[in-house]
Amino acid sequence: MQPLRIALAQIAPQLGDLDANLEQHLDVVHKAQAGGAGLVVFPELGLTGYLLQDLAAEVAMRLDDSRLATLVAATADGPSAIVSFVEESGDHRLFISVALLEDGEIRHVHRKAHLPTYGLFDERRFFAPGNALRAAPSRLGVGLGLAICEDFWHLSTAQLLALDGAQILVNVSSSPGRDLAASNEVGLGTATSWRTLMRTYAQLTTSFVVFCNRVGVDESFSFWGGSEVIGPNGAVVFSAPMFEEGLFYADVDLAEVRRERITLPLLRDERPELVAREWRRLIAERAGLAPDTASDEADHAASTGAAERIRPVPADLETPW
Amino acid sequence: MVTEAPGPMFALPDELAIDTGVARTVIAAFIRGQLRQAGFERAVLGLSGGIDSGLVAYLVAEAIGAERLLCVLMPYRTSSPASREDAEEVVRRLGCASELVDISPMVDGYFGADGEPGAAGPEGLEAAPLRRGNLMARMRMAVLYDRSVTWGGLVVGTGNKTESLIGYTTLFGDSACAFNPIGDLYKSQVRQLAAAMGVPEAIIRKAPSADLWPGQTDEIEAGFSYPELDRLLFWRIDKRRSVDEVVALGFDRALVERVDHMVAGSEFKRQVPPIAKLGPRTTGVDYLYPRRRPGSARS
Repeated sequence: MQPLRIALAQIAPQLGDLDANLEQHLDVVHKAQAGGAGLVVFPELGLTGYLLQDLAAEVAMRLDDSRLATLVAATADGPSAIVSFVEESGDHRLFISVALLEDGEIRHVHRKAHLPTYGLFDERRFFAPGNALRAAPSRLGVGLGLAICEDFWHLSTAQLLALDGAQILVNVSSSPGRDLAASNEVGLGTATSWRTLMRTYAQLTTSFVVFCNRVGVDESFSFWGGSEVIGPNGAVVFSAPMFEEGLFYADVDLAEVRRERITLPLLRDERPELVAREWRRLIAERAGLAPDTASDEADHAASTGAAERIRPVPADLETPW
Repeated sequence: MVTEAPGPMFALPDELAIDTGVARTVIAAFIRGQLRQAGFERAVLGLSGGIDSGLVAYLVAEAIGAERLLCVLMPYRTSSPASREDAEEVVRRLGCASELVDISPMVDGYFGADGEPGAAGPEGLEAAPLRRGNLMARMRMAVLYDRSVTWGGLVVGTGNKTESLIGYTTLFGDSACAFNPIGDLYKSQVRQLAAAMGVPEAIIRKAPSADLWPGQTDEIEAGFSYPELDRLLFWRIDKRRSVDEVVALGFDRALVERVDHMVAGSEFKRQVPPIAKLGPRTTGVDYLYPRRRPGSARS
C-alpha cells in the first residue's frame, strides 16, 4: 500500500479575520498538494481564530457559504482537507465544526460535542454542542474519526469513533499552553497531558491518531502547536515542534492498522452491548429516573462496599434509546 | 588566583521552578502578537533599575529587537542613585533607546517642597509616604503614556504576580499598561528567568524595593520573604489548597490569614471597574469582544 502523506497545517489564524484565514488555507492546501500530501489537516477554528466571544456570530458560515465553497473547490483535484470554522445551522445555532472536504465536496461535518466551560474556557456561553459522533468513510480508503479538542478529553469519543469504523482519529485543536513547571516532560503541562492522552488513545483503539494544534496568540492565550501523528501501536510517527508555525509532513503506512488489530484485537473484543447496558442505567440515573448510585448513595456505597451498588437496569429502560 | 564559589543569586523553591526556555518562547510570541494585533512595532517601558522592569526590557528586546524599545528612567529626587546606575547598565547592555525624565517637579508641584505648598495646598507638605509613593507611580504612568505617543510604542507592564496578588501596586500607576508579559510569574520565577536571560547579577541579587525612601525594601515592609510568600500563594491559589492544608504544609497560620486578607482586599486592583448595568448590552457583561479584532489595529 502506498504510504499516505499527511500534512499538518500548524498555523496561527488571525482572530476574527475570515478572509485572511481563508486565503492562508487556500495557500496551504496548494502547498500541501505540491508536497504530495493526500490529506491536509488544519486546527480547530483555523478559519476564524479561537477566542471569538461575540465575534462568533459575525464569522459564522452556513455550509453553503460561498467563502467555504472556494475552499471546498480546492479539493476537487487536490488533497483531502480537514478544516474548522464556526458553523451556523438553519435554526441559527452556532457550532464549532470541522469538515472533511474531498473531491470538491463536503463529505462529513462534525460539530464539537464537548464544549469546555470551566477554568480559562467559556465555550458553552457562545456555542451549541453537537449531538453526533460518527466516523466518516474517506476516499483515502480508511474511515476517519473527526473530533475537536475537548472531545478527546472524554474517553467515549475515541472508543465510539473507532467502533464506528475510524482507522485514523483526527483531533483538531486550539489548545492554549499553560503550566510551565520545570518538572513537566516538555516544559509545558498542557503538552504533557495531551501527549499521554494521544498515545493512550492510539494504543487502545489500535488506530492512527492525528493531532493538529494551532500556534500563535489570542489575547492572553499562547497556543502551543506540537502537532503529532501517533501509530496504532501507540508509538510516535511524527512530532512537530512546539510554538512554531509551519506545514509539516508525516508519512504513514496504513497497513499498520491491520497488523496491529490482528496482533492486538482490542476492538474485536470490545463489549458495546455491555457498555450500552450500563450506559442506559447511568443515563437513567443522571436523568433522575432511577436512584443515582454515583452521587446520592456514594456515602452508603463507601461504607458497605461496591457490591451494594450493582443494581439491575429497570425493566422499562431496557429498550434502546 | 583563588576564586570563591559564588552563592546562589536567589532562592528558588522547587515547586516554582519553570522551564525558562518555554517561558521565553511563549513571552516573545505574546509580545509580538500584542504589538501586531494593535498595529504597533515599538514598545516603551519604565526602567527603575529593579529586576522586574529589567527582565521585561530583556524580554522585549529579545522579542522585537532592542532598537524598537524605549526605556524611560523616571527618578524622583530621593531615588537611589544606585538604582539609576543599574537601569543605565541595562540600557547599555541591550543597546536600546533611553530617556531620563525627572519626575521631581511633577510630584513637588502637587505636594510642595522645601516648605513651599504645591497644588495640594499646605496639607500636602505633610503627605504620608504612601500618598507620595502613589503619586510618583501615577506620574510615571502619565509620562509613559505620553512617551507612548512620541515613541509610537505600546506601554509594556512590568508588574509580577506576587505583587499583583497581594496588592502591592498602585492602581492606575505602575499597574497601568497595554499588556504585561510577566504578570503571571511569581517574584522567584522572575529571578529565575532574569538569571537565564543574563540580566546583570547585581540587579538580581539586590533586595527588591519600591525605592520610595532610602533603605526601603519590599520584604521588610511586607514582613516576609519572597520565596516564602511565593510558595504560599502558589499553594493557595494555583493549587487550590485550603488554609488548613497549607498550614499542614508548614506555613504559619497567622501568615496565611494575613496574606489571604491582602489578596481578598486587593481584588479591586486586578479587575476592570464595574459598570452599572442599565442598557441592553453592557461592556464587560454581555458585550464581550476580544480587545484586538479586525479593524482594531492602528492603521
